Amino acid sequence: MTPLELNDTSNALFNVALFAYVGAMVASFAFVAFRARALAWASTVVGAAGLAANLGAVITRGLAAERFPWGNMYEYSMAMTLVVVAAYLVGVELTYRIRTVGGPVYAFVVFTLAIASLFFYVPAGPLLPALNSYWRQIHVTSMITSSSLLGIGCVLTILYLLRDRSERRGVARLQAHEPPPIMGAAVDTELPPDYVPGDDDAPAPSPRRIGLPSAATLDRLAYRFISFGFPIWTFGVIGGAIWAQEAWGRYWGWDPKETWSFITWVVFAGYLHARATSGWKGRRAATIALVGFVSLLVTYYAVNLWIAGLHSYAT
Amino acid sequence: MALVWRTLRSMRTALVLLLLLALASVAGSLLPQAPNSPERVVDYLADHPVWGELFLRAGFFDVFGSWWFTLVTVLLFVSLVSCLIPRSRAHWRALRSRPMQAREIDAFKRYAERRVTAPPADAAAIARKVLRRRGFRVAADPTLPALAAEKGLVREAGSLVFHWAFVLLLVAVVVGKGTGYTGQARIVEGETFTDASFNYAGQLRAGRFFDGDHSGAQVTLIDYRDAFGDTGVPMDFQSEVRFTSDDGATTRTEVIRVNHPAVFDGVRYFQFGFGWAPVVEVVRNGTTVREDAIPFVQRQTAPEGVSQLAMPWNGSVKLPATDDREPSHAIELTLWPDGRALAGFVQTGDPIPMTTEFDPVLQYTLWEGTLTDLSLAGLDTSGMRRVADGLIGADQTVDLERGCVVGIAPAEDRFGTACDPGAPAGLTMRFPDLRQFTVLQVSRDATVPYVLGAAILILVGLLPALYVSRRKIWVRADPDGAGSMLKVGGFALQRKERFEEEFAKLVDALATATGGASAHEREMVGT
Repeated sequence: MTPLELNDTSNALFNVALFAYVGAMVASFAFVAFRARALAWASTVVGAAGLAANLGAVITRGLAAERFPWGNMYEYSMAMTLVVVAAYLVGVELTYRIRTVGGPVYAFVVFTLAIASLFFYVPAGPLLPALNSYWRQIHVTSMITSSSLLGIGCVLTILYLLRDRSERRGVARLQAHEPPPIMGAAVDTELPPDYVPGDDDAPAPSPRRIGLPSAATLDRLAYRFISFGFPIWTFGVIGGAIWAQEAWGRYWGWDPKETWSFITWVVFAGYLHARATSGWKGRRAATIALVGFVSLLVTYYAVNLWIAGLHSYAT
Repeated sequence: MALVWRTLRSMRTALVLLLLLALASVAGSLLPQAPNSPERVVDYLADHPVWGELFLRAGFFDVFGSWWFTLVTVLLFVSLVSCLIPRSRAHWRALRSRPMQAREIDAFKRYAERRVTAPPADAAAIARKVLRRRGFRVAADPTLPALAAEKGLVREAGSLVFHWAFVLLLVAVVVGKGTGYTGQARIVEGETFTDASFNYAGQLRAGRFFDGDHSGAQVTLIDYRDAFGDTGVPMDFQSEVRFTSDDGATTRTEVIRVNHPAVFDGVRYFQFGFGWAPVVEVVRNGTTVREDAIPFVQRQTAPEGVSQLAMPWNGSVKLPATDDREPSHAIELTLWPDGRALAGFVQTGDPIPMTTEFDPVLQYTLWEGTLTDLSLAGLDTSGMRRVADGLIGADQTVDLERGCVVGIAPAEDRFGTACDPGAPAGLTMRFPDLRQFTVLQVSRDATVPYVLGAAILILVGLLPALYVSRRKIWVRADPDGAGSMLKVGGFALQRKERFEEEFAKLVDALATATGGASAHEREMVGT
């Protein structure tokens, strides 16, 4: 195929992936609403099909441009959704058998792709010489991977905060309506902290159980993703500094992108520390993670589009 | 004082300081910064006089060089170190001490009992081997057939490495920036630049502790080459240079490209930019007053969607009067390195990117009057009168005062302004050659390897600090008939849900090694 045909193929696959993700999102939300197993399976199958199309779009894009396909915002978005969906399907659905959090994850993916196709689309082409370094491969690959993982972690954190609030309300309601049992023989209104759906000792999923996983599970899952993404983010920032040293003669120059990647790093470092500090666990740490998510979005979108700098793709 | 110290040492303080650093960085990224873009700071001050003044006073236009940013960094540094010293000491002690014995094993979060065939002393010895093989540090009880074991001290070690490396990084960055310098060298093809402070024309950014000791190396630009794609997308920039050391003892030729810097005499040279430098020869009343290549700059920023390469290049020649009674002259010049772009622009109004030299054209305007500024910077024509203007092609000569081309027949001239033959010219300009210049970023930063080393250590420390969990196990073998009752208890400080499985497997391994039944066999017996 000619580069032009490859470019068109990539665009077509991109659209297939986008619609598949929309379908997976709808099925996943419907699963939570109507609690029919078939919907969960439909979400998984359609999501996996979208993943395949997404992979195809990335590969054909790379062939069309004759380089690694992450040289601009459009390609970066495409690669990021690939990692997000792969990490979600493997890390959440396959490993933990949790299938109720797919909706928000796919929503994040759909937004990312829609924004990319609406605002960032450029035909495949060669790169600026400053971007032509193998450190680019290393830097950008780790930034894509880590922002995807941190992104999933933050979606899970939002779900944790929602779930935590409803659990607290539930406990409060139970405590308000039921007379306190004598001698502290309390009804255990809180879920056990070690509860992981899919564990051998976990109760069989009754229709009532098909809702969000417990707050504790969501919190731990979010922490998994963030603590996995954080070292990769660290590595990506270091790789970027090495590349900057080669390309611009300084490893750090407080360029807006550098500054914001540092801010994001600091906020997530704060989150990890907060989880280890008594009195900051739970909702406070989760709030820090959300600030980190906002910072991540600023690093990714705002810096590229509105703040002029060396990383700006706007020019 | 003790309170201050205690506050500084707490993790919460370090966290708050870290977040303050992030907050300050937000300000630094949203407001224009003087070291990166001084012209935007000036614009900002003009647009927002009140806030601008306030921000200027508070150092918000140089956040990363401001006293309060330094203060927060120093406080963070002190807080980190004061937190790390006692932690390191405690860890050192933990490494040297042996795991503590426990009496009431069954009180721990995880606990299991197994009946095994080995007698207590043997069972304890075997258990010790099993635990050792699994990477536990084991201490035997001196009085009982019992042992204490632990694993995962590397978590704390990793955390310490991470934090000390962060401190090292801070120090290395501060020392490197403080004792180094960065500047830009603009070198025309065939010319030589010497790394010395006066050659940077006030543009040098030196650290606070830089002693002014430049390398003195000479850099000669042999050739500058570039390549562009079809749509004017830049593909490659190359500067072929010859380095000569201060004492002249060593010379070396290198090709500097984007992403491929050169190092000479401890100073690094990076490809940073390029431009055009027309050679101009000016003759006044028969005397050559100027004959050199003038590096031009682009004053116009391309409108949105247009390549910057489509914009012309600007420069000027200043000719101060030799006599007070005479007026001074200035020639304002605009270069079109590709003459087709000028023709196309005039005919269709479409900008065309100029990537190679092709039939170059200079537009000139002669000004007469008082020169206010003799520096190489832009031309101020406020006190001057426009005399004439016109165009000049490569290798042509123009009469500046009359604005016509000298020495050609009217039919030959593309611009249609040949001078009348015979009339004498007082001020002429020739355009014999068009050259290119390169802009190299020159910098010395002695601590780059240390910064890199610290960054690697940060990563090395981070992995165990995040993923390793600390686990403690106690084993006791009590007599039970001919064999013994093996009691195993323990807990994990992190990743508790994973420990459950690990504990079950460990108990199984201990039981089978000491002649008991595995969980699988027990299940079989049970059913």
